[in-house]
Amino acid sequence: MRFGQIFRLIGILNFFLGLSLVAPLSVSLIYSDGSFFALLYSLLITSGSGLLLFVLTKTSDYPSLSQREGMAIVTLGWVSAGLFGALPFLFSGSISSITHAYFESISGFTTTGASILSNIESLPKGILFWRSLTQWMGGMGIIVLSIAILPFLGVGGMQLYKAEIPSPVVDKLQPRISETAKTLWKVYLFITLLEIGLLFMGGMSMFDSICHAFCTMPTGGFSTQNGSIAQFHSAYFEAVITFFMILAGVNFSLHFKFLKGDLKVFGRDPECRVFLLILVLLVLLVTVNTYGSVYSSIARAFRYAAFQVTSILTTTGFVTSNYAQWPALSKIILLLCMFLGAMAGSTGGAIKIMRIILLVKHGFREIFSLIHPHAVRSIKLGGKSVPPEVLNSIWGFFILYLGLFIFAVIIMSSLGLDTMTSFASVAATIGNVGPGLGLVGPVNNYLPVPDLGKWVLIFCMILGRLEIYTVIIMLAPAYWRK
Amino acid sequence: MKIIIIGAGDVGFNIAQRLSEENHDVVIIEKDPVKIRHIQNVIDVQAILGSGTNASTLQDAGINESDIIVAATDNDEANIIACFYAQHLTDYITKIARVRNPDYTAHSEIFNKDFMHIDLIINPQSEMVNSMLKLTEVPVASEVIDFVEGRVKLIGITIREDSPLVGRKLSSFSEYEHMILIGVIIRGERVIVPRGHDTIQPNDLIYCVTRKEDIPNIFQLMNRREEGLSRVMIVGGGETGLALAESLDRTNINTKIIEKDGQRCLELAETLEKVVVLNGDATDRDFLLEENVSDVDIMIVLTGDEENNVLISLLGKALGAKKTVTRIGKLSYIPLVSAIGIDTVVSPRLSAIRAILQFIRKGKVVSVAPLKGEGAEVIEFEALETSDVVNTPLSEVKFPKEAIVGAIVRDNEIIIPRGHNMIKPHDHLIIFALKGAIPKLEKLFTVKLEYF
Repeated sequence: MRFGQIFRLIGILNFFLGLSLVAPLSVSLIYSDGSFFALLYSLLITSGSGLLLFVLTKTSDYPSLSQREGMAIVTLGWVSAGLFGALPFLFSGSISSITHAYFESISGFTTTGASILSNIESLPKGILFWRSLTQWMGGMGIIVLSIAILPFLGVGGMQLYKAEIPSPVVDKLQPRISETAKTLWKVYLFITLLEIGLLFMGGMSMFDSICHAFCTMPTGGFSTQNGSIAQFHSAYFEAVITFFMILAGVNFSLHFKFLKGDLKVFGRDPECRVFLLILVLLVLLVTVNTYGSVYSSIARAFRYAAFQVTSILTTTGFVTSNYAQWPALSKIILLLCMFLGAMAGSTGGAIKIMRIILLVKHGFREIFSLIHPHAVRSIKLGGKSVPPEVLNSIWGFFILYLGLFIFAVIIMSSLGLDTMTSFASVAATIGNVGPGLGLVGPVNNYLPVPDLGKWVLIFCMILGRLEIYTVIIMLAPAYWRK
Repeated sequence: MKIIIIGAGDVGFNIAQRLSEENHDVVIIEKDPVKIRHIQNVIDVQAILGSGTNASTLQDAGINESDIIVAATDNDEANIIACFYAQHLTDYITKIARVRNPDYTAHSEIFNKDFMHIDLIINPQSEMVNSMLKLTEVPVASEVIDFVEGRVKLIGITIREDSPLVGRKLSSFSEYEHMILIGVIIRGERVIVPRGHDTIQPNDLIYCVTRKEDIPNIFQLMNRREEGLSRVMIVGGGETGLALAESLDRTNINTKIIEKDGQRCLELAETLEKVVVLNGDATDRDFLLEENVSDVDIMIVLTGDEENNVLISLLGKALGAKKTVTRIGKLSYIPLVSAIGIDTVVSPRLSAIRAILQFIRKGKVVSVAPLKGEGAEVIEFEALETSDVVNTPLSEVKFPKEAIVGAIVRDNEIIIPRGHNMIKPHDHLIIFALKGAIPKLEKLFTVKLEYF
């Protein structure tokens, strides 16, 4: 472990993170909303500290990184991004407590969308924009962004990339890692612009269009409205956002191939097919379940079911209806969605469809080999056999995910929260969803959770975003041994 | 440039690493998932799991946008088929195949443009035999590489402890300045482009350029007389051993070849005329003494067993062989063996890498020779009229620090340059460069071409 090297890269990261504050700074200038100096000081402190770290750790080392160092940079990078990202909230007086500001900031970067704010609309426009921007940057990954703009990382870039986008199968779209990162960001930017355009054409203000697109594409879920998307009362906005939430839940390398002219790529990809199948099935189930009991017309039931199931399954967390009042089956389905998540390689969180498919296939193989004890059978995905070490790593992930979930639920319930709240708050944060059930339900927020509980949830959000291994490995003593 | 490499063995891996460091876009196709993972951790290339003889894998690798395909697996047939597919998928791609079986290369015309469309066939074994034959021309050297049709020689010399050069500053060679230029010193694992104040130390491997006719001066410098080669002993009668023995068979050099396998010895004896075929074990001390190893000028050890090769060479040296040449396949061993007293190493993989890189860089670069340890290269550039380097005294050209001009070739004249020499258009320059300086050099020599 070369700490000089690690802190140097984190310094670079902070420097660029600070520069990104220029965007909300110009927003606050346009609306002259009084948050200008708060944002300016945040910019100077963030970039200044980054620069200082960069100068202090001047090394002549070749910037190639080991896997361990890559993981350390990514984890520490995210922790520090959350820290500096909280500054605008504190300086503008929007949020007074450090715990709350850090919670809001980490919830942004990890694209969770869990908020502690009760009156969102009272915030200055610049701060609201920053809140959306943290989600947008966190969605495709702040580290991936820095790989795209810092070509010198080279081989080290791959270690960082793997640590930040730890999907079961690493997919390099271009021969160079910096090109791969650039490609992903271009696709991401393109789809975001498309959504901004469609929302704006439907009559949403430019500011709200940008903010909502910035929170849809990373499957984030922050809204500029107290009542989230429900406040617009517009079927058009809901349809547009539903469509883009689905896009955000699809593996971005498929989007890349689609844009390159391979139009059948979505239908061919086995994970994509299963993802869409699950989505359609659950939407229909919830529609039937809520029709009659909550909504009088089938069209209304479908409208709200489609939006809400998509929102939770892709781990976005936008809200159009108070699903806490839905029948038990619908609530259970939504809770289940918090664990499933979207496709690997998308911006969504949670366990992800690819892992679920492989786990189920593995389970069936065990049954098969009990029937035919001498059978040799390999697990295939899309006609390609999956190597056993990938399966092992998925099992490890699954066990750790559930183990950490249970551990966090126990802590939450010991803090005096009720069963549903403890359960849903952890599921919604470790899965990077946002709104849960109970006290943290769709029309409530995370303010009532005790401070210690908030820190547990902050940890859960980072764990979920970096998919467990990258973070948890730093807690292993062997990691630090020379 | 986008380059697809098939097979991530030693050859494929090294080429990929080199080209990726020189900012080419590289895609590797490899069957072994373990190797794929290793590649992704250490080099910045796209690694695709699959077979190079599968058209859809080639398409996944983006063969339609690629400029060159290098089939470098251990399997000749797979390499040829891969090139065949490549030709089928895209007409314009340059195809390089590594083919080792002498049955195939004996009739290399079938690979040419009209039939198989393979642009370059790399046969590491014949490359290796050629470099060994060159070594027999300059016995004192541990490596000899030709430039400009052999008129300029790059010579690698291992400095022994008793050499008169030990401890001398480079600036003290001023009387030889126009004849010989020391471009690179390899000291252990370090590669140095030396300056005047650097001194030569024992066990250094120095590389220098000189004109062919000045070679005797080098021997004079080293207090050695040029001794004609008269006795060669080859250990190992495999394909390479046989090919080398056949070439020596045509000369007056007294050659012996040792082979363990009696049956193989019969085959050797059938093919060879003057060469003495010996059936025996070269690890046997008494056997070697009996065959007068102490009088041998060069002992060339080419058996299939790497570790044994090293030990046989050491044994031969201990028994009095003047010089040894050892075949080592594993590239990771090469930097180590000179430390334990092995004079010269030949490696089929290194030869293949050299030949492939040479071909890929062609165009801007005339020829190229990676040096031992792979940290440095000697490159022959042509100075174009449009380049910044022409008509400027050398001392004022902004060369990268890790590079030095070893020779300027102007028509029939060969200049070993000093600071005041000028580069004229169409001169060929022979430049020593460390790995890192190569992209900068390429820029320097091509920068103005972009205007056309």
